[in-house]
Formats: sequence, structure tokens, C-alpha cells
Amino acid sequence: MADADWLIEVDQLTRRFPRCEALGGISFRVRRGEIAALLGPNGSGKTTTLRILSGYLAPSSGRVRVAGCDLQTHPLDARRRIGYLPESAPLPLDMRVAEYLAFRGRLRGLRGRHLTVRLREVADRCGLGDVWRRRLGSLSRGFRQRTGLADCLLHEPDVLLLDEPLAGLDPAQVQAVQEWLKEAGRQGAVLFSTHVLSEVEPLCQQALILNAGRLAAADSPGRIARASARLRAELFAPADRLAAALEALPGASDIRLQPIADGWTDVGFHSGPEELSGSLEDLAAVHHWPIRCVRRESRTFAEAYLRLTSALPIVKNPAQRRAS
Amino acid sequence: MKAFLPLWKRELQAFFLTSIGPVVAAFFLLITGTHFWLLASRLAQGPADSDLTAAFFGSPVFWLAMLVASPLLTMRLFAEEYRSGTMESLMTAPVSETEVVLAKYAGACAAFLMLWLPTLSYPFVLELCGARLPPLDWGAMAAGYLGTALIGASFLALGLLCSLFARHQVVAAIASLTLLGLLLSLGSVELPARLDSVRHLAPVLSVPLHMADFRAGIVDSRAVTLHLSATVLLLFTSIRILEARRLR
Repeated sequence: MADADWLIEVDQLTRRFPRCEALGGISFRVRRGEIAALLGPNGSGKTTTLRILSGYLAPSSGRVRVAGCDLQTHPLDARRRIGYLPESAPLPLDMRVAEYLAFRGRLRGLRGRHLTVRLREVADRCGLGDVWRRRLGSLSRGFRQRTGLADCLLHEPDVLLLDEPLAGLDPAQVQAVQEWLKEAGRQGAVLFSTHVLSEVEPLCQQALILNAGRLAAADSPGRIARASARLRAELFAPADRLAAALEALPGASDIRLQPIADGWTDVGFHSGPEELSGSLEDLAAVHHWPIRCVRRESRTFAEAYLRLTSALPIVKNPAQRRAS
Repeated sequence: MKAFLPLWKRELQAFFLTSIGPVVAAFFLLITGTHFWLLASRLAQGPADSDLTAAFFGSPVFWLAMLVASPLLTMRLFAEEYRSGTMESLMTAPVSETEVVLAKYAGACAAFLMLWLPTLSYPFVLELCGARLPPLDWGAMAAGYLGTALIGASFLALGLLCSLFARHQVVAAIASLTLLGLLLSLGSVELPARLDSVRHLAPVLSVPLHMADFRAGIVDSRAVTLHLSATVLLLFTSIRILEARRLR
């Protein structure tokens, strides 16, 4: 993949605020033609990431390149290539839609006929014709969001950064925004934050899951779901010896043991993208433990997300917990 | 500096479109109109013996207008942008901090000068009304307006800095008003002897004393330098603070 195809490159990005570390060294890349979703619980660092990528905040350390421009050394060039919609699309309520978009276009260097043509195009694309002369203060939330999106699209940026663009929109508006994202994603790169997990799989080629300022996953939604699958089996073995043996199994995590009837133990563990059923069978053979009901439990993307962002402590071995 | 002009126009538009603009203009016209009326009443009683320029630029009404207009013109510059969240959109556009600060400041200066513009007509209106005016010293009048512009420039720069620190425009106005009030009282307050060094400095920094020179037709280069330096320093500080906000 040529360097020019990576429109967003984030390398070891950290951001510290006086009382907390919002981002702890995240790295990811988004290529041209890709739509990426930034996911995570509240306070996980989504807005901070988008604010750094848009140039509103400077990183504490790390490197960010947007459309080939280093955000630290060439901030104005980088910002010319970005369309950024902040959370809840704040707008100057005293201005009219047409005035505001013309002002934003001029700020980005659009002038004369080019500006007029672009204003007409974004007005058509975002369905702003009926409210074109209305004051922003008198618009509904949906129209304000559309105005914010029109502002982002005005200068035909390579990179679109959108902070919760689907929040507060009705189903028809959500569908319209999704269509715009798809269209924008064909020409450039789109990175948007959202809490609506059902929108991610059909729309995005990449999902970036943040948890407490760390990147918990960065892959396609399908691969993230597959990587979160669990391997389940029943073994005829003493629970304590089984737990110790499973601990030593490379790639196994989130191990849970549940004794069932007649000396059998139900074993479940997270196997990641590796296929560990063979290893488990080998382990059983080495210890002469009879094994049955080996199966792989798939997870949906939403379940994978919940697992990756869960703050609950992982129970590795109930027997050990009882002993401690 | 491509973004300067659209930003400057936007500031002027925002000033006159939002409720604060007409209120400030009305307040200013009321104060200067009252002043004008008092002046006209005095002249109606007979030939004026005093200097018209001194009467206009030295009265408490003039200082009231100066003191109140600057905070009201500057309070919304940054405080309102931060409060409404539009600062994020502005600072992620391809504009530099210098452009933003200078354009906002230039917008406030333009509005300030627009407020003073009608007062230029006062001597002519009085003459048209048949008032027996003492011979007008046009040089002193020009120096008076120059002093007003210079002092206004530094007051507005201070107001802009206060607006940058405040999260609400009323807080910005109060902070700016307090600081300007303290500045105006310098030189008129008797300081204790132990503050001898400050006592010597007070007349140099006293804005009313600077204005006394200007209205007498004296353009003192020290006062001009002081106000220009203060303006540049305050604007430079504002730019640096805005740059530092990205790191905060």
C-alpha cells in the first residue's frame, strides 16, 4: 500500500490533561476509501482523539499525519484537508444558513464563482434549500446537524472527522447521513465516533475500539467479532490441575471453569483469532483427560465490543478465587 | 492572512446583529447625546469662555463612555465563542491564532470608531444651531480624537484578553471594567510615602493625564508609545494564550 493511500496516520498518540491521561499511546491508520468508526464508552478518549486529529488540541506526544501533512509541523495545510464536525454541531445562532456557510467557505479560501457553486452543491446534497435563508437559531437539531455536515463538505476535504454525527437524528436523517458517509468514504477517508453499534458493521471497513484511553481493537468489525469467539469443551479432569494446564496454554485468556456432574468440568476460554481446539485436544491427550463437546462459540460484534470495553474483572479460575 | 477579512467582517456583523450591539450603540449615543445637550445648554447661556475641546474630552461623561464601551465591545469576542462551542469549529478551520486575534480585535476597533463617528458632527451641529462658539482649535480637536483612539485601542486589547480568560461574557465585562477602573484611578489616588517608586510611576501610567495632554493639543510621544506598546503586548499575549490552549 503506497503512503499516499493512508489519509490518517496516528502513531503512539498520547494526551495528558492536568488530572488524567486521556490517551495512552494509540496507533492506527485509515486509508483512502475507508470509513472507520471510533467506538468506546463515555470518557474512553473518542472526542479527544478527534480533537487532536482536527488540530483543535495538540498531542502530548506521538505523531499525527493527515493526508500526508504532519499536523505538528504543517497544521494549516493539514486543516485545509480536514472537514470536522464537533459533537452536537455548535453553530453561531445569529447567522443565517447561507451566511454561515459562505463565511466558512471564505475561511477556507473559497472565493467568487467557486464558492457559489460549492454552496449550491452542498445545499442540494444536505437538503438545506428550504432553510437556506433561515437563522440557525430557529432550526431543528436535524437541520443544524445537516448545516454542520454541509460545512464539513464545502471544501471537498480528503478527510472527514465527525463526532457523533448520528446522535439525536430521526431514522430518516440517520439513513441520509449514512448515505453521505458512504459517498464521502468513496473519495476520501471518514472517521466518526458513535455509540450506535448496529450502524458500524454495514457501514465501516474498520472499527477502532477505545477503552480508558487505550486502543482495545482496530480491525474490521467482522474480524473483531471472530477474534472474540470462545472455545468451549467438557473435560473429565480435576479442576485445579485443569486450570493450571489451561493457564499454560499459549493464546488462551479469560478462562472460566465450571464443574458439572460426574467429575466433568465445563471449560470456556477466549481463544482470539487462533484456532486452539487442536491444542486443547492435544492437552487432553497428554494428560489422559477424556474430552467431549468441543465447540466454538461465535460472538456478535456488539458482544465483542462489550467484552473489549468491559470494566468487570476477568474470572480466570473460580476455584482459585474461592481459595484466595 | 487570507482569513483575516472574512473573520473581521464576521465580527462586525456579529456585533451589530446580536442584541448587545444595538444596546451598546444606544447606551453610547445616550451618554454622548447627554453630553452634547449639556454642552449646548451651557453655550445657550452666553458665549462660552472655556475651551470646547477640553469640555468635551475632559468631562466625566467622556470617561464614562470610554470605561463602559470597551468592555461591552470586547466581552463576547472569545467568551461567547467558548460558551457556545463555536470556538472548536473556528480553531479547526485553516486559520492561525494571529489571524483570529487580530481580526477580532480589528472588529472591536471598527465598532469602537463607528460609535465615536457621530460625535465628529457635534461642532458643526452647534454652529448650525447658531451657537456662539469660541474659536475651535482644530489641532487640539484632532489630538483629542487621536488620544481617544489610542486609549481606546489599549482598552480594547485589555478587554479582548479578559474575554479570552472568561467563560461567560458578563464575567469578561466585569473583569475588564474592574481593570480599566483601576487603571483610570492611577494618578488620582494619593499613595502612601513608602510606595515612593510607584508614586513616581503613577503619573506616567495615568491615562487621564495622557488625555489631558491630548485635549490640549499636545501629542506626547511617551503616551503614544505607551499605549501602542500596551496594545501590542496585550495582543501578543492573547495570541500566545490562544496557542497554548491547544496544549492545555
